[in-house]
Amino acid sequence: MSEFLVLGWNVAIPEVDIGDDIFVVQDDNGTLRRVQVKTSTSTVRKDSFSGQFNVSVKNLRNISNILVHYIFLVRHNDEWSKPILIRQDYLLDHFENKKVGSEVKGNITFYFSYTLGNVECSGIDFTKYINDFTDFPKIEH
Amino acid sequence: MDGYSFSITPTIREFIKKLFPNARPANNIFVGYDTKSDFEIYVGKLESQIYPALLGMENDSDLNQLGEIQFIDTQTGIVLHKVTRSDEKV
Repeated sequence: MSEFLVLGWNVAIPEVDIGDDIFVVQDDNGTLRRVQVKTSTSTVRKDSFSGQFNVSVKNLRNISNILVHYIFLVRHNDEWSKPILIRQDYLLDHFENKKVGSEVKGNITFYFSYTLGNVECSGIDFTKYINDFTDFPKIEH
Repeated sequence: MDGYSFSITPTIREFIKKLFPNARPANNIFVGYDTKSDFEIYVGKLESQIYPALLGMENDSDLNQLGEIQFIDTQTGIVLHKVTRSDEKV
């Protein structure tokens, strides 16, 4: 949340939980971004670590006029990993067209593998999504 | 506001940009229920207007190269509507 504030966006937490964790708002014009935060503990391997995340298939396929931005964070060595930001349509596209993640009982499990600053999921390079705040450009107040 | 969100996948966006370098595909287009129903009473099916805008293509010869376009409900996978350029010209 502090990252969004630093970029000049305001942050709100929904009073009622219907899937979104945070609403990120551009105050002066009302531009709204929906954000869902996913966290995981790390599994340590030689020279790398991984994190496992579950995402609801129903939510991922629910494309509305305001797309959800998923943020994935792994707790590793008492620190948070750099955030991976993926917009809903990209994540859905990876799942449906590039066989990223595995579906079990209505949830998709994504395994992210972190090696020397790079991230992979199901063999696809996700490094470009690290700290990808493209849809949250810095706002000067 | 309730309505319809039309979108194309990033894969299709990339495909369209590669095939038609002048195309500017949009992420999504939202149309309120009222707007859609009004349009369809006075003009005709909205989907025929939506896909050129969504694909960011305005050149007729480019659009004529497209085959059948399907509008699919992402939740159910059901095809809600189909459009083909040849049908529209009849």
